[in-house]
Amino acid sequence: MAISEVLSRRCVIMRLAEFSYEEYQKALRQSAGAVVIILPKNMSAMPQDIVQQFMELEPEMLATETIVPVYFAMEDDELLSIYTQTLTSSSSQGSLSAAEVLLHTATANGFQMVTSGAQSKAVSDWAITSLEGRLAGVGGEDLPTIVVVAHYDSFGIAPWLSYGADSNGSGVSMLLELARLFSKLYTYKRTHAGYNLLFFVSGGGKFNYQGTKRWLEDNLDHTDSSLLQDNVAFVLCLDTLGNGDSLHLHVSKPPKEGSPQFSLLKELELVAASQYPEVKFSMVHKKINLADDMLAWEHERFGIRRLPAFTLSHLPSHRLAQRFSIMDVRPHVDVKKLSRNTKLVAEALARVIYNLTEKGAPGDLQIFTEQMQVQDEQQSAVVDWLTAQPRAAQLVDKDSSVVSTLEYHLGHYLKDVKRHYVKADKRDPEFVFYDQLKQTMNAYRVKPAIFDLLLAVCIAAYLGMMYLAIQVSH
Amino acid sequence: MTLFHFGNCFALAYFPYFIAYKCSGLSEYNAFWRCVQAGATYLFVQLCKMLFLATFFPTWEGGAGVYDFVGEFMKATVDLADLLGLHLVMSRNAGKGEYKIMVAAMGWATAELVMSRCLPLWVGARGIEFDWKYIQMSFDSNISLIHYIGMAAVVWMFTRYDLPKTFRLPVTVLLALCVYKSFLMELFVHVFLLGSWTVLLVKAVLTGGISLCSLFLFVTLVHSN
Repeated sequence: MAISEVLSRRCVIMRLAEFSYEEYQKALRQSAGAVVIILPKNMSAMPQDIVQQFMELEPEMLATETIVPVYFAMEDDELLSIYTQTLTSSSSQGSLSAAEVLLHTATANGFQMVTSGAQSKAVSDWAITSLEGRLAGVGGEDLPTIVVVAHYDSFGIAPWLSYGADSNGSGVSMLLELARLFSKLYTYKRTHAGYNLLFFVSGGGKFNYQGTKRWLEDNLDHTDSSLLQDNVAFVLCLDTLGNGDSLHLHVSKPPKEGSPQFSLLKELELVAASQYPEVKFSMVHKKINLADDMLAWEHERFGIRRLPAFTLSHLPSHRLAQRFSIMDVRPHVDVKKLSRNTKLVAEALARVIYNLTEKGAPGDLQIFTEQMQVQDEQQSAVVDWLTAQPRAAQLVDKDSSVVSTLEYHLGHYLKDVKRHYVKADKRDPEFVFYDQLKQTMNAYRVKPAIFDLLLAVCIAAYLGMMYLAIQVSH
Repeated sequence: MTLFHFGNCFALAYFPYFIAYKCSGLSEYNAFWRCVQAGATYLFVQLCKMLFLATFFPTWEGGAGVYDFVGEFMKATVDLADLLGLHLVMSRNAGKGEYKIMVAAMGWATAELVMSRCLPLWVGARGIEFDWKYIQMSFDSNISLIHYIGMAAVVWMFTRYDLPKTFRLPVTVLLALCVYKSFLMELFVHVFLLGSWTVLLVKAVLTGGISLCSLFLFVTLVHSN
């Protein structure tokens, strides 16, 4: 980009590698025609500090109100050549002699960018889908229920480019693996425990956990009997568990001694200490702050409705930029660490469900081995599939393949798999989605107007010479 | 200013024809309608060639990179019909040799210009995207004009009963070159993988060579009579 140039009615093209927030703000201030930010295909090849800087800038860029349309494009050879040609032509202006400028107009290429989309409109009647399924416990009516929750949607500055690998593809993968393992245990009479297991894959998680909110309202306010109304032992929310060597259990109220919540906390500590010493496990206590715009973690939705809940994550804080970034792509998930975390959680849950510590089982007893092993390839395949398409809440409607595949997958392991829809309220909507999120921009090679005049002069000279030549030869 | 660009290309393509028409003295002979007749003959000959090619030549089934030498050679041979057409036009026009040649060539070349170049220019040069190929197309039409003048001259000379023996061979060679010129050009492009401007240059040189030879032979013939 050239310095001190008038940018109005021009399209500003920037590459991620040379992205500068000041230049971006300048383009917005000067009402540029459009801004196009080119992202490399292979994000993991970029230096980490640039990626981190961009991740942190995303919320600021989102918060800036502007009439300038900002586009994000994945880089390929042609786009890169357009960028380099524009760069050379704009950087060489103002430093050439007149003859060079003339030569330049004849040989250089300008580009005209044209998009064909319409103005963004609010989408009405968008239904966010969530899925639930259960494994019924054995023995009697009033069994305690353990709920496992993970939101499947992703978030980023560009919805069509937000793949949400770690946040929260890893959470969904872990939930599916837990469903598989416990459904296997529950098929055998000997290992069928006295706990109901309820699995909930929620939508709209990045938009303040809309799916969970409506599900709770429906189950607690609008039905007479539901597993959530009776005896809930605890709710475990899984959020961003695909990397890192630490695990944090985020709570809004420290668990009371003797409660099932407390026993899960203790079991997690025990399993981490005895079987996975490289994992640093800790509890993070953060009170629910209802004055905030957005809730911190998913467990706070349950906490508001007085259900004991916590969120397990490898991130120490909910404010970290990588939960809401388009830079969260597949290489951000380390499947080995994801499997390790899955096994840790599975062992701790099993110890609570089967009451193993009271029965005297040692800390390093491993249940999930051999045929009951956590399957790395399956988890890797689930994460690969989830990151193959963008899963922003604005893009996943009830007919989406993500939802139907998750439904099918859950149906393999769980009973009573049901869909649950959330639509925004008509008069006082909690969320509004807009369309025209993906556009096609065409770049046309154009020559400046001077070029046409130059060409006309040349052609006139050529014709004149030809005329003279013919006159002379007669 | 893309309409301007269309104007540029159109001027580059059409004005040489205009100049040639005016300066060769055809306008004094009121040859306009005869040129139009020559143009109509061009259309008819092209139609016959297309029908013939479509009926008797199978589509090339080979791979994309392989160049069908034999097939293209056969197709080029069909261009002999062009020579027949030119001969037909010239035999129907009474007058000096020079006049006949110019009428036939002008009509033929103008018809080719209108049929094969006007539409691409109108559609393409007016668009937003700039491409050098429209300028090249216009240059190409200039080269075609010279080519057809040369070709008409050679055909005229071939059919003269008073052609000296020594001229027979060069005239036949030039005739063959005229017909197979496009085939040779494609061969060059394929073998040497030339860029578009180089192709234009080679074409201009080749056409210029053929035309100069035919002009030389023509002048010698006319002056010796």
